[in-house]
Amino acid sequence: MPLDTSAYSLALLRVDGRRWNELRRIHAQIRTQAAADGSSYLEMGHTKVMCVVNGPSEPGPRRGATSGGGGGGGQSKNAEVAVNIVIAGFSSVDRKRRGRGDKHILELQSTISQALAASLHTHLFPHSTINISLHVLSQDGSLLAALINAATLACVDAGIPMTDYVAACTAGSTSTYAANDEGADPLLDMNHQEEQELPGLTVATLGDSDRVAVLVCESRVQVSRLEGMLAVGVDGCKQVREILDRVVREKGIKMIQEGTVERGVGLNDMELD
Amino acid sequence: MPREAEPSANEKAFLLKALQDEQIRLDGREFDQYRPLELTFGDEYGVANVSLGKTKILAKASAEVTVPFADRPLDGIFTIATELSPMAAPHFEVNRPTETEVLLSRLLEKTVRRSGALDTESLCLVAGQKCWSVRVDVHVLSHDGNLTDAACFAVVAALRHFRKPDTSMENGVLTVYTPAEREPVPLGWLHSPFCVTWSFFGEEGETALLDADWMEEQVRVASVTISLNRHGEICQIAKLGGVPVEAVALLQCTSVALTKVKEFSTYLDDKLAEDAKRRDKGGFMAELRAENDRIVG
Amino acid sequence: MASTQHVLLSPAELAYLHASLSLTPPIRPDGRSPTQFRPLVAETGILPGTNGSARICFADGTEAIVGVKAEVERTRTRHDFPSLDESAEDDDDLDDNQNEVIKGDNDWVEMTVEIPGYRDDDAGTVFLSAMLSEALLADGEFTKRLWINQRFHWKLYLDILLISPPLSYPLPLLSLTTHLALLAARLPRLKSEGDEDPLFDDDWAAAPYLYPRPSEKGSKATAPAPAAARPPVTLLVMAVGNNIIFDPSKEELAVADVALAVSVGESSSSTTSTTSSKPTAMDIDTEETKGHNLRLLSVRTIDPPSRLTPPGIPNASNSAYGANAGAKDAEKKKQQQEQARTAESEAVEGVWKAPRGGAKTLVMATMVQKVLEKGGVADEVLDALDGVDLN
Repeated sequence: MPLDTSAYSLALLRVDGRRWNELRRIHAQIRTQAAADGSSYLEMGHTKVMCVVNGPSEPGPRRGATSGGGGGGGQSKNAEVAVNIVIAGFSSVDRKRRGRGDKHILELQSTISQALAASLHTHLFPHSTINISLHVLSQDGSLLAALINAATLACVDAGIPMTDYVAACTAGSTSTYAANDEGADPLLDMNHQEEQELPGLTVATLGDSDRVAVLVCESRVQVSRLEGMLAVGVDGCKQVREILDRVVREKGIKMIQEGTVERGVGLNDMELD
Repeated sequence: MPREAEPSANEKAFLLKALQDEQIRLDGREFDQYRPLELTFGDEYGVANVSLGKTKILAKASAEVTVPFADRPLDGIFTIATELSPMAAPHFEVNRPTETEVLLSRLLEKTVRRSGALDTESLCLVAGQKCWSVRVDVHVLSHDGNLTDAACFAVVAALRHFRKPDTSMENGVLTVYTPAEREPVPLGWLHSPFCVTWSFFGEEGETALLDADWMEEQVRVASVTISLNRHGEICQIAKLGGVPVEAVALLQCTSVALTKVKEFSTYLDDKLAEDAKRRDKGGFMAELRAENDRIVG
Repeated sequence: MASTQHVLLSPAELAYLHASLSLTPPIRPDGRSPTQFRPLVAETGILPGTNGSARICFADGTEAIVGVKAEVERTRTRHDFPSLDESAEDDDDLDDNQNEVIKGDNDWVEMTVEIPGYRDDDAGTVFLSAMLSEALLADGEFTKRLWINQRFHWKLYLDILLISPPLSYPLPLLSLTTHLALLAARLPRLKSEGDEDPLFDDDWAAAPYLYPRPSEKGSKATAPAPAAARPPVTLLVMAVGNNIIFDPSKEELAVADVALAVSVGESSSSTTSTTSSKPTAMDIDTEETKGHNLRLLSVRTIDPPSRLTPPGIPNASNSAYGANAGAKDAEKKKQQQEQARTAESEAVEGVWKAPRGGAKTLVMATMVQKVLEKGGVADEVLDALDGVDLN
């Protein structure tokens, strides 16, 4: 692709003017929708997703292509996490319609379901289903990461007990896949253009630990690049976690101030000002 | 929908206890040891029969001339079709892709197709009009865990073993020769990626096993499939959820995977050479070729 | 689908609902007047990647997003026989000029509706999308806007997403959102002329709206700005007894005698208001600018859930009540069944029964009338949507 990312070596600035370790603007909101048990809206740069969580509830009649994980079916002793992703036709530059049977979407659904099932305390809700429905409104790279972050926020909003945030972001490398150049820099948070051209991976970690819940790499890259990319990615996840945490806390404070919820005992350590 | 039979609580506990306290796998293998991998080629070109312990997979490559896709006039078509039938395990259904099947086919797709292992441009015959369509059918004959690694090995073996009919273009006329007229030619092959799957056990995924069998797969808490070629290029990594695992552990897994991939690579090369020797009837083929050459005139 | 979903209300609750909605004036559970809409939040232009987009959030939490995307497409040259409904149009056009025919084709608009949890080939989803596109394409005026030149046209993709689970029948929500998205939609300004390959202006600020705006406020005094045409709006109306209720909630819909989806369009008064619109169209200017020039585009009955409620099993044949007592009781059982049947058809105070039979024509006519009348609900809705800032 004749897109000029080679300019990076001159000014050490990427196509959108960021440095190697900069995230794009992340804007997030929780409780965006009154009807759902939990909901969120998340922007990572121009990638925009919405998430709605319903449940844990009695499993309804199975319909549509939902992908279950964390214990098969509603009959098990763990709650099933059913994820449904709708990628809007208008989300990318060229309108491309994907059917619900699309394998890529099924893979995304399964990934998010499995990743959250490991963090959510699904054993507290036997014989039930947690329905997560995600809508992709605009795509500009780091789609899986944005979906995971939005789903995490919505689960927090829904009040489902969980171990910690599952925060995700992408990392890439300025080397092309063939060259084994040692001078290549890792990059944080890839946009669509960079994803097209450069190798990259998506990482999701649990909380601020170094434990990786999701690691997806879909491009050819030298093994020696992996460590650098992974390190930057894990570090980025921690930054993302901070941002997500701030969003939740700010909303919580606002809700207490507005009197929507009562100030609970567990919230004593929260500063209200 | 038939559901897979889960191992009993006792079986699970036994397996985990053996793994974590005694560091012993049920079948006595080392943690990073594969079950015996066996590869046999069929009489035809492009048929590979792979067995990994009790997991058995048959891959068959075939090619036909078709019209290329309108948006990629210079590329041939390459598809991998996977089928998990009730023959492999009773909980698979025909015509109803399970999650396992979707993930398997996505993995093969990413490992072999998207990494550019097959040179699709060499499949083009007449730009925008004629091209080869290469198709690999993967049949799972018996399922005893680790389908991914076995299937990937089978696909790569089948494609590297495959020969497509030779063609020539003269004055805008495309001729496809039968094997009797001209020796079939191998596909334009760029690199051989292989999948290596690690399974994790324990609360924090601290125990990692290679080549988990079906029972171990049902008990594991997470898995990661790493696809590499022998040049140390990662083609794909997929840790699709599951219990979080230390990042450092994943890096270690990758480097062990690289040595395994190199073993696979050598094994496949040896097998291919052996098969080529078996097929090379020396004089007979040479004679045929000479005869064909004289026809031109 | 959504209209048929089960509401978990007991027969007594349903009876109470039905009774309070049948009063004059009706008392609605949320205290609204019969013609009052639920409050809603609307915004447009939320997605810069689309030609037009809108989001509407109803107070009950249901939310929808609509994105409009346009692509240039080569017009397929049609061979010989045009379809029947166009032949009339062709005749008119033949006498003036062959090459200035502006025609539209319904294939130029593609609409998809996504409801979470429902397959896109689910009957309910298909029905919703059919109703929405039917209203849009009904008068054949819309597709003409997509005409570029003889050889090219815009292909418009309308993607309608329901974000929330379908709490109430989502038709009005989806229709209002689509309306706003279409109002906000802009297509790049054409720079090329005639039938050459189209070339567009890069300047998005110069892009004209798909539905041109009425001229600036300042010029209102001079030119009696013709009320610009607008996309259609589909409203959900239901009747209980003789009361007509707009924008029913899920619970209200459960006891509806009849529910209608009425699509209303607004014609630009100057051109097409000859026969189809109300006779008041040729009134004095003052009144003309006040109200909207409404036209009825389509009416569809929606099956309220009450019509689809399976009739319960009479106790006599329910094994839990000893229906299988034995063959010798057959005589007795038959008698019991008879009794059960009569009991079922009789009205019992405080227990709601699904209405039987169709709706009265008079009620239907009044419902449509109520929508269309000047200062009526459709008028109000359109006025309210006017208030949404389009940017």
